[in-house]
Amino acid sequence: MEYVLNLVPLLIKMAIVVGILLLLPLPLTWLERKIAAHIQQRPGPMRVGWHGLLQPLADALKLLTKEDHIPAEADRMLFAVAPVVALVPPFLVFVAIPFGDPIQIFGTTVTLSLADLNVGLLFILAVSGIGVFGTILAGWASNSKYAVLGSLRSIAQMISYEIPMGFSVIGVVMLANSMQLSQIVAAQQGLWNIVVQPIGFFVFFVAGLAEAQRIPFDLPEAEGDLGAGYHTEYSGIRFSLFMLAEYLVLVVLAFLNVLLFFGGWLGGPAFLPPFIWLFLKVGFFIWVFMWLRFTFPRYRYDQLMTIGWKVLLPLSLLNILVSGFLML
Amino acid sequence: MARTGVKRHGWIGRIFFADLLAGLRLTLGYMVSKTVTHHYPDYEKWVPYQRHRGHHFMNTNEQGEVNCVACGLCSVICPCDCITVIPFENEKGDRRPEVFDIDLARCLYCGLCEDACPADAIKLGQEYEVSTTNRATLKVHLEDLIAAPRKAEDGGLVKPARLESAGGQRSVLRSGPSTGLDWWSRIRRPK
Repeated sequence: MEYVLNLVPLLIKMAIVVGILLLLPLPLTWLERKIAAHIQQRPGPMRVGWHGLLQPLADALKLLTKEDHIPAEADRMLFAVAPVVALVPPFLVFVAIPFGDPIQIFGTTVTLSLADLNVGLLFILAVSGIGVFGTILAGWASNSKYAVLGSLRSIAQMISYEIPMGFSVIGVVMLANSMQLSQIVAAQQGLWNIVVQPIGFFVFFVAGLAEAQRIPFDLPEAEGDLGAGYHTEYSGIRFSLFMLAEYLVLVVLAFLNVLLFFGGWLGGPAFLPPFIWLFLKVGFFIWVFMWLRFTFPRYRYDQLMTIGWKVLLPLSLLNILVSGFLML
Repeated sequence: MARTGVKRHGWIGRIFFADLLAGLRLTLGYMVSKTVTHHYPDYEKWVPYQRHRGHHFMNTNEQGEVNCVACGLCSVICPCDCITVIPFENEKGDRRPEVFDIDLARCLYCGLCEDACPADAIKLGQEYEVSTTNRATLKVHLEDLIAAPRKAEDGGLVKPARLESAGGQRSVLRSGPSTGLDWWSRIRRPK
């Protein structure tokens, strides 16, 4: 009985997180289209609902009613599995992401995270690394040259950028003496990590963009040269699963940037609840990612590799060395 | 280089990505600037200039009679052969068109009929929303031409409008202040 009672808040939290995550891409697609439009001096979607607010619903409805087409020569099983494989890791990452300090509800302490793992950061990096399997499987199963090229690029990109990404957070871990995200946030009380780890933040930010396959590093799905890359052959609900995964990775990335370098839910002047602070910062980062997307052109493939191996990796190693010496 | 407004900052600029930041600053400026889009069918409509060659119309004199003397010059000069004129003699003994049909689906809106007309009768007006789902409605007759909108007095203005679905989707002008005489000025350009 005691055990079941402990399970109830966990189940409620899970339901809330999963529900929000499933619905989040709807406003995000609207936001992305609006930001794209305003950067190009257009108003964007205006006709469905107030300022096009219901446009994502219309789009979702359209996607769900579209034909679910599988190419004739495709590997049907892998083709069906790939979108799910792409979608699961971003959901899984939210297991380890804390949303605030524990709060009191009805006299019981409720932690604002599903599981505040003591190796949270490692878990997140490992799980988000799995996401690339969705891309690989999709590209392979489609039996299409564009899709395969996209997934090949994706593999190379993921391998190149996961290394600097992992190294760039070591400075943060050294400062907090912990891999637990709530500890890392607590260690930033007074001084956010961005002040002491600017190089680490820069490397993490750029490598994160590449991991999320956002412009300027979106070579796996480069529309201009690959059709749409690994999801060229996808349509209907399977395609929407890929889009869902893409937006969730974006959210994960914003969360990680905020938690690791911008003090998480710690606010400046404390007139807003910590929860609101966290979401303001995450929203800001999502906006920055979209702003970058509609400003920069795509890097060429050799430039991508050069940036990963010759710039980011040495920078992240330098960052570890410098912060190590300063800590001693 | 002056066109993009990017300044060279040497190696310090390279390290701190001066070029990327310049690009970001530009797009941020665009993001907060006004949009240049006309909210065309729903809220706004652009009225074409006088020189615009749209849907034809037929001029009438003070007595309400059509100016056309059914000489047939327009139908002769028409490069697409889309004007049909059949003359008749009315009770006053004037030569007038009994039939004056224009097939808008064939018309290329060149305006030669307007140039050829000796009686200041057939003209090309401001109306440009002639799309339809029924080709038969594109064959317009004399009474349609008399009722069609004339050349715009205040061409080049963006006027408030609303979408009306009666009789096909049309954007209809509303009363209200018109804007955007020179709407190209709203486009932000690098200095």
